[in-house]
Formats: sequence, structure tokens, C-alpha cells
Amino acid sequence: MAKRGIGVRGRGRWIVAAVLVAFVAVAAAVITRRSYGFAQAGEIKALVARRASLESDRAQLEAAIREASSRARLMPVAERRLGMRVPGESQVIYLKRQSRSGGTP
Amino acid sequence: MVRPSRITIVFLGLVLFALALIAQAAKVQIIEGRKWALRARTQQFRGATLPAPRGAIFDGTGNILVESRQLVQLEIAPGEVRDLSQLSRLLRGAKVDSRSIRTATDPRRKYVVLPGFYPPSDVAALTATRGVHSRPIMDRAYSTAGGIRRIIGRLGPDGSGLDGIELSLDSVLRGDSVRALVARDSRGRTIESPDGWKSVPRPGSDVTLTINRSLQEICERALARAADSLDADGGDIVVMNPFTGDILAMASRRSNSLSSGNTAVTEPFEPGSTLKPFVAAALLERGLAQPDEIVDTYNGQFEWRGRVINDLHKAPRLSLRDVIRYSSNIGIVQFAQRLSPREKYEMLRDLGFGMATAVPLPAESEGKLREPKQWSGTSAASLAMGYELSVTPLQLVTAYAALANGGELVQPQIVKEIKSQAGDVLYRSQPHAIRRVMSEPVARVVREMLVAVVDSGTAMKADLATYMLGGKSGTARRVVQGRGYVPGSYTASFVGLFPADKPQYVVLVKLDSPRRAYFGGEIAAPVTKVVLLAALAARNAALNKGELANAERVEGVLDTARHSPPVDAPVRVEAAPAEIPTGSVTFDLPFSRKTVAADKSVRAVPDVSALPLRDAVRALHQAGFRVRLSAQGRGTTPRAGALLAPGSIVRLSQQP
Repeated sequence: MAKRGIGVRGRGRWIVAAVLVAFVAVAAAVITRRSYGFAQAGEIKALVARRASLESDRAQLEAAIREASSRARLMPVAERRLGMRVPGESQVIYLKRQSRSGGTP
Repeated sequence: MVRPSRITIVFLGLVLFALALIAQAAKVQIIEGRKWALRARTQQFRGATLPAPRGAIFDGTGNILVESRQLVQLEIAPGEVRDLSQLSRLLRGAKVDSRSIRTATDPRRKYVVLPGFYPPSDVAALTATRGVHSRPIMDRAYSTAGGIRRIIGRLGPDGSGLDGIELSLDSVLRGDSVRALVARDSRGRTIESPDGWKSVPRPGSDVTLTINRSLQEICERALARAADSLDADGGDIVVMNPFTGDILAMASRRSNSLSSGNTAVTEPFEPGSTLKPFVAAALLERGLAQPDEIVDTYNGQFEWRGRVINDLHKAPRLSLRDVIRYSSNIGIVQFAQRLSPREKYEMLRDLGFGMATAVPLPAESEGKLREPKQWSGTSAASLAMGYELSVTPLQLVTAYAALANGGELVQPQIVKEIKSQAGDVLYRSQPHAIRRVMSEPVARVVREMLVAVVDSGTAMKADLATYMLGGKSGTARRVVQGRGYVPGSYTASFVGLFPADKPQYVVLVKLDSPRRAYFGGEIAAPVTKVVLLAALAARNAALNKGELANAERVEGVLDTARHSPPVDAPVRVEAAPAEIPTGSVTFDLPFSRKTVAADKSVRAVPDVSALPLRDAVRALHQAGFRVRLSAQGRGTTPRAGALLAPGSIVRLSQQP
């Protein structure tokens, strides 16, 4: 009788412990999953912001390069500092394309 | 009675707890599910408009003119900031003005929105600070600060187009924004969540313009220099491909700094004498005159219906050809009398005057062309001289394009292509002839007249040595609202066809109220020449160089023996002293261009035999010749002293 009582109590404790462990495990898994999800979302958000920032910088720098290499910016400098000028049309020679037979088209 | 063991009680307790949980879950999920779901949604998500990136705008050669970029607006909650002095330092580093910094670091304030937008990388340290929030704003990055912005236009604070292409093609450029739910964390900050992004915004389409950026910059620079040097109120330059109708450049300038519109399509003007070739074309088309037919021009003064008409070029009589060449008001009025008012009106209407060109630019003016029933007694004469109607620069260029392309009025185009982000072509411009306004032979004859204008008429300052240029100058008095024609205020203009035989450009240069000189042939024609020279030297200015190579003037080597009067011995060009770094050589030709009436442009080949090769090339260039180096022979071919037209090729031997 006493043996049986001890056996039931012992099994019952194990069941209770198992239920508690399972509960804690499930709760921990849920919390871990959510925490991981939030961490991932934070990383994604940071990367998206970084990408937007880099895209913005790229657009800004390319615009600055194009503006700096424009005729409006370069020509006054070339004229003032290098003494360059626009050639007369007689100084620009367009070569006639040779036809395959050797003559001009 | 069996007394339950303690473990059984605990177990039952757990079971009851579990049952209670299940019951509560069932209540929350099933009975009150909708209410809680709504509440959770309200807490965890918020509605937000996700802006679509605006499409980019390219020029005709594929260079980006403007594209979208993201900036951020800073919003600060001073109460959340742990170290306000550090925030103040960071704000100073981001070049925020001191007044805004004081406001943003005032702990009594709850929330401060800083004015202005910042590149994200410039404020990265700030946005990482607790209490600093950033809001993304889409902005436009322009590749040029020049007048091309008058074409592109601007955006308003809400991101929609205010003017220019940004306004007229707003629906294409802006794409489709979406209203979406965005997940947020416990502090209300937005987080990336697959539950939130149900749909993504569709980016705007990219627009490619017909504008050639190099040519546009050439025109803007030439216009700015001309307007500044002449103290003009402003001006416009329009360049068009006459066969496709593509607008290659459209530069505008106004002394009023508030003017930001595209005045080449919004501000009409009285064209003056630039209208005369169309009267000639109408006469020729109807067989009412011949090019060499002569009318009396009364030595430059003629009274017609109580109105005195004057000519600058005073001649007793002139042919139609010379009427155009010398821009005779009397002559054109005499000839124009052969056209009925209805014929004149229809001629001008068919050329597109008095109606918008339908180019996709906002606020385009129709100009003004009155019907004959609204004309006064002198309207017919005024119209023949280019008064009593107003046209926009674009309308005038389009009409001249008809002369250039053989008689067809083409639809002006400024949008070359529209492409979706996926690469699908949504629109591609095709040359479109609206109507034929004159026959091809008539267009050719009028083009010949225009060549004479540049060659030996009122616009000789536009003349090119190597290529034939046709064109017509115009000088019209300007009207000021409420004051009528104002003495001393003129519109000087010139429309050129380059090259004359098969034009690739129609160039209009218009200068408003120049103060130092005002004749179109004197001030607008040289600007056209400047534009053409720069375009010829540019790498890509929408010129077909293969065709240009065949369009050069025929080189004429004149025999010195047959040419009269005999020319003195050729000028010997000495080597420049070594201490002159520029190496420029100044010398006088044996005759001036003006003194040789028959062929005023011919000149002698200088003797460069004593010069180093580089200096010899430079001296020949300065004399107006083109140089080709040759491995054979000695000296120059033709030899020094030979008379050549400017632009002729002189072969220079590389042999010492």
C-alpha cells in the first residue's frame, strides 16, 4: 500500500514537473522567437536605412560630378587658366568616311 | 472518504489553470476575437503612405538630368534625449542653424521639427541618438544648375510637379504610392514586418528628353554672354532638328531673377523681319511672284495708306530675292499686296502661328494671330513686316523647320521616350508631319534666299567659312503693356538653318531689349555663329558629322595670276620670340576682306617656311585656313601667296 502510494506520488511529481518544463520551454521558445524576430526586423530596418542613405549619397555625388564636368563649369576654367578657346570651324575637320571599295561614299 | 494526495491537488490545480487558460484563450480568440484583433492591430500597426520613387529625367544622349534621392527631416523630442549638450554638438556638426539648435535642446519643449532636409549620411550620428527621430523625404538631385531647369521644372513641398516637365508629365514620373500598414514596436518606431507590407509602391517611369545637354549648355553660355555684354533684359535660344522636330536645346534667360518659366514657349513676341521669308514662300507657292521679279522700293521711303515705311538698305528697286537679302520693308509690303488678307491669314495659320504647338510643356502660349475681319487698314502691311502678330520662339523655329525640311510643318518633340522601371517602353516619339505648308521647290528657293542673307545680306556676321548657313535676321520694336511701342526698345532675332543645303539645326537666337546695339543681324546673328562653332567643336552636340563632312563648302583655289588686282608678295611670318608664351602671331594680310568686293573672303597663304611646325600650323589657322600635314614635298601646298577662301585646306609638309 505504502509502496503504491509512493509510486503514484513519484509519477505525479514527474508529470507535474514535465508539464511545468514544457510550459516554460514553450514560453521560452515563443519569447526567443519574438526576440529574434525583433532583432532581425531591427537589422533589416538598419540595412534599409543604410541602403537609402547610400543611394542618396550616390545620387548626390553623381549629380555633383556631372555638374562639375559640365561645360558651364569647365569652360570658364579652361579659358581662364589654360588659355583654351573654342576652335574656329575651319580648325575642325571631319574626315569623310572611306567606303569599302576605297573611294568616298 | 479517500483523501486526495497533495500531488493530486497540485495536479488538479494545474489542470484547472490550464483549463482556465484554454477558456480565456477561447474567450479572447473566439468570443472577443474581433475586438482584440482590432485593438492589437491599432497598437502594432499604423497606416502610412509609402511614397513611390519618382522617375528620373535623361537628356537625349542618356545623361541623367535629375533623379530622386532620399533626404531626412529631423524631429527631436528633447525630453527623451539623455545628453542635450552632445545633441547640441551633433546638430552644430550637421550645420543646423543656431536658432533651431536652441529650440531643439530646450527641455521645456515636447517635440521639435527642424526645418530643412538633410542627406542621411550627414546626420547618421544624430539619427542614432535617443530622442531624435527622422522622417524620410524624397527630393530631386539635379545634375545641372543651369537654365535646363526651366525645362525640367520643380517640385512642390508635397512632391508633385510645379512647372516644366515635372508638372506636365507628373502622372508618369510620380509612380503609384500605396497606403499601407506599417508594423511598429512598443515605442512606436517602425519595424520591418512581413505582416505590414502587403503591397509595394510602383516607382515612376523614366523620361528621356530630346534635349542635348552639351548643346543646351553651349546655348546657355552663349546667351548669357550676349545678354550680359549687350545689357539685354533677356533672351531665348531654341535649336531644333527640322526633320524630326526634336527640340535639341531651349535656353532662356531673363534679368528678372524671379522668372523661372520656360519663356521660349510662354512669352510670345512680334517676330519682325524673320517673318518675311514666309511671305515670299506664299507668293512663290501661289505663283504670284518670281524670285528675280523686281518691285519699286522708292529709295528707302514709301508712304502707304498714310503710313511711312522705311528701309535701312535704300534702293530704287529690288527683286524678291534681294528684298529678303536686305530685309526691305517696302519691298515685302509691295509684294505682299498680291496676297489677299485671307491668303495671308491662312499662310500664317498653316505655319502654326496663333495656336499652341502641343509640346508637353505647361503654360504654352498660343501667340496671337487675328482673323482678317479684325484687321485694320494697315494690318496687311504690318503682318508682312512681322508686326501685329505674336509668336513664341518655339513656333517660329517650327515654322522655319518647314523651310529647312522641304516644306512640311513637323510636330515639335521634347519627350523622346518614356520607359517604365521594368524597362518597358511606354512611349517613343516618332517624327510627325502635321501638314505640308509649301512645296519642296519653293522651300529650296527660299533657302537659297536665306543663304544670300548670311552670305551678303543683313546677317553677314553669322557667316561661316567652311559651311553654308542660311538665315534671316529680325529687328522689331517692343511693346510695353499700356505704353505701346517704346522708343529704343527692340527685339533682335536671327533664325539660322545649318548647314543650308540639308539643315541639321534650325537655330533661333532672340535678344530682348539689348541696350548697346539692336539690329538682329548685328547682335543675334553672331550669337548663332558662336553656338554653331561650339557645337561643331563639341564631341556630341546632335550633329551628324558624317553628313557635315560632305556639306563643306567647295574649296576654291584662285589663281594669283588671274586674280586682279595683283597681290603683293606674301607676308612672311617670323617665329615668335621665345619669351612670348602664347606663341600668337599677328600679321596683316595684303588686303582687307571688305576691299575685295567680288570675293572678299579670299586671302593669301602666308609664308611659314621659317616657322617651327607647331607655329606654322597655328599661323595658318589664324589666317583662316585648315591644315593637313603631309609627309611629302616642302612648305605649303598651295604655295605661299596663293589666294584661297577661308576654310580651304592647306597641306603643310612635315619635312624640315
